[in-house]
Amino acid sequence: MSRFASIVLVLAACLAGPAGGALAQEPFPSRPITLVAPFPPGGVADLTARPVAAALERTLKNPVGVVNKTGAAGAVGMQFVATSKPDGYTLLLALSSISIIPEADKLFGRPPAFTVDQFAPIALISADPTILVVRTESPWKTAKEFIEDASKKPGQISYSSSGIYGTLHMAMELLSHAAGIKLRHVPHSGAGPALTALLGGHVDALASGPAVVLPHIKSGKLRALAGWGESRVAALPEVPTFKELGYPGAEFYIWAGVFAPKGTPEPVLARLREGLRAAVADPEFKAAMDKLETPIAFKQGEDFARFFAADAKRLSDGVRMVGKIEEKK
Amino acid sequence: MAETLQNLALGFGVALAPGVLLYAFVGCLVGTLVGVLPGVGPLAGISLLLPATFGLDATRAIVLLAGIYYGAMYGGSTTSILMRIPGEAASVMTCIDGYEMARRGRAGAALAIAAVGSFVAGTLSVVALMLLAPPLANFALRLGPPENFALLLLGLLVLAYMSGGSMLKSLAMASLGLMLGMVGIDPMSGYFRFAFGVVELGDGIGVVPLAVGLFGIAEVLVTAGKPTPPLVQQPRLRELLPSREEWRQSVGPIGRGTLLGFLIGIIPGSAHIISSFVSYAVERRLSRRPEEFGRGAVAGVAGPESANNAATSGAFVPMLALGVPSGPIPAVMLAALMVHGVSPGPLLIQQAPALFWGFIASMYVGNLMLLILNLPLVGLFVNVLRVPYGFLYPAIVVFCVLGVYAVNGSMVDVWIAVTMGVLGWLLRMLQFETAPIVLGAILAPLLEMSLRQSLAMSDGHYGIFVTRPLTATLLAVGVLLLLLGLRASIARGLDWRGRLALAEKGDQS
Repeated sequence: MSRFASIVLVLAACLAGPAGGALAQEPFPSRPITLVAPFPPGGVADLTARPVAAALERTLKNPVGVVNKTGAAGAVGMQFVATSKPDGYTLLLALSSISIIPEADKLFGRPPAFTVDQFAPIALISADPTILVVRTESPWKTAKEFIEDASKKPGQISYSSSGIYGTLHMAMELLSHAAGIKLRHVPHSGAGPALTALLGGHVDALASGPAVVLPHIKSGKLRALAGWGESRVAALPEVPTFKELGYPGAEFYIWAGVFAPKGTPEPVLARLREGLRAAVADPEFKAAMDKLETPIAFKQGEDFARFFAADAKRLSDGVRMVGKIEEKK
Repeated sequence: MAETLQNLALGFGVALAPGVLLYAFVGCLVGTLVGVLPGVGPLAGISLLLPATFGLDATRAIVLLAGIYYGAMYGGSTTSILMRIPGEAASVMTCIDGYEMARRGRAGAALAIAAVGSFVAGTLSVVALMLLAPPLANFALRLGPPENFALLLLGLLVLAYMSGGSMLKSLAMASLGLMLGMVGIDPMSGYFRFAFGVVELGDGIGVVPLAVGLFGIAEVLVTAGKPTPPLVQQPRLRELLPSREEWRQSVGPIGRGTLLGFLIGIIPGSAHIISSFVSYAVERRLSRRPEEFGRGAVAGVAGPESANNAATSGAFVPMLALGVPSGPIPAVMLAALMVHGVSPGPLLIQQAPALFWGFIASMYVGNLMLLILNLPLVGLFVNVLRVPYGFLYPAIVVFCVLGVYAVNGSMVDVWIAVTMGVLGWLLRMLQFETAPIVLGAILAPLLEMSLRQSLAMSDGHYGIFVTRPLTATLLAVGVLLLLLGLRASIARGLDWRGRLALAEKGDQS
């Protein structure tokens, strides 16, 4: 129902578009804002976008609707926002894939669907490090044992991922590069099937967001070896980070942030930053994120720009490290 | 057993509370509606209502969403039978014989059989879900990519039994479907295939635009192209109910459809769609009069409609017992649980018994509700056939376009549906059947993914398909089936297919 409402919002926004241009001096915001989630309902982007939109609606005192514009691993929705009018009324809730897709396009030499500099970063909402999990009955008790074993038999330990060049794939590639090991990649169609493959014993390891594997760690089916974060995951205080273990290159976050199209006027961006800062402090928003077991990691302005740039560099390095998958000779 | 009954009593306590009962009813009603509307299937319906459930408690939310899922399976048959438009993708098979039944004035009977079959399948499979979920879920986990590949290969064999008439035409259509299924991002290397620079084609050609185009829009074009418009039907009340003979013919298919549907439902992928195809093929294979299929066979409605309902319960097995999704729809429902702070996983049954058993009990209640809701609607829906075609068909086209657009909000999907409509019309004119295209397009990506995952697991060694006992067994069954089929056609010279072709020739001359 709210999807219909949001479609109506978009239509309203489109109709109001030309009129808005004429009245350049109108205060922002004065009509409904659309937050585009480039993934289907139920995914991380969607589940983050909805509480963000609800809280932003309260702090800006202006309607904010979520629209799922899905397709091609998020490229469709991101392209849509990249080419939208930069007036602050069309925003994007993006995940790390925003830096991966243009890099992969470049790698394959195809015209990019969009580029990172078509966006103005507004704020980071959450950033959760991935953690390395294996089955409890596997021989590896620690990350050190895992890495040692992997260097002894290169290409034999397998891992599943959410898809080629996907976030879970990138995390594992960054680790492989940092530790100088070679693992066997078995892509799956999403994080859910990737976890199923690990539980069923069809692959040996998985890099995953903490929330989805916590119940399986608690029930004794999976063991967490190490995390990709700068610090340990709050819910798993005994699990070390790769940084602690001496692999600083293995740093990776599944993050969600809000972007506007490049060229959005600075006063509008400032108003949005302010609105989002108040929104993440909203108790209802905090409760919603708690239920998802996703820690809020708010960053804006220079902080977010720096985080985004560092992350984009890691990811584009990752994509180049994987390179183009060529046919085996 | 005593424990199960005690738990079930707890569940009914939850499910029969007025608040929960109301949401079960709303879910069933919305499900029936999204099922009836062409194109809009359970996934679109659940996605639409997901945000609306954020304000509810976890039990109500999951009861509502599950109601939409299995409700859509009831509603999906309606437009398939009345207008040859699949209400959702799992009803494609019902279009064939259901519509033929309607053309012979048995629309009411077909709708009633679909509803009763759905009810029986829904109820029996909940019993199975309740008693067998944990052991079955652990078994389902053992089905990795190689096993999936073997199972899907068996599914491909099914293609050969999909339609009557020319085997050559049937296989040509299946190949076309398999090729259409290759469009999109290569799952293992990230290359765009056959996308011609259209970003939206990266995800491939969706099942919904394909099915709605090939069946719905094509049917409108075919009818419009006829020199004399078909007579508007005037269904009479006493013809609404199935005859004793029709009931007798549907008992076996409903039973087999239930079993097949539930088992296939557990397997990851678009299980409810595939289950209906498999059930149709099995019924045709077992039937003593296979030539009746495609011309209004009761079993061709009863089997697939039961199977797709049973598959929805099967799909809940890994979701409830292990917290892992078996397809896109359970994945959205898992997200709904997470939003409410319920962490789905192997501990769900112990940690949230009221939610688990309430959910199970609500499925018993919901299936009963749907039966009560749908049987009287048969009388109402059949009256749609009284609408003159000049009014009915433009409305159908509008609904097809709206339904396709609603799924992803993508105009590209609408153009695909229109293109497929024209293609479907051309193929129908040339006496090709279009159902194998849909099955091929569904199977191709799944088959490719599982084959290439298997090879990634084994570092490129095909031995993985014979060293895993389960895979080897499944493949052996496939080979056996193939040989049996060959032997029959060699020994007898003419099987039912041949007889049918002869009969068709007789018709034409």
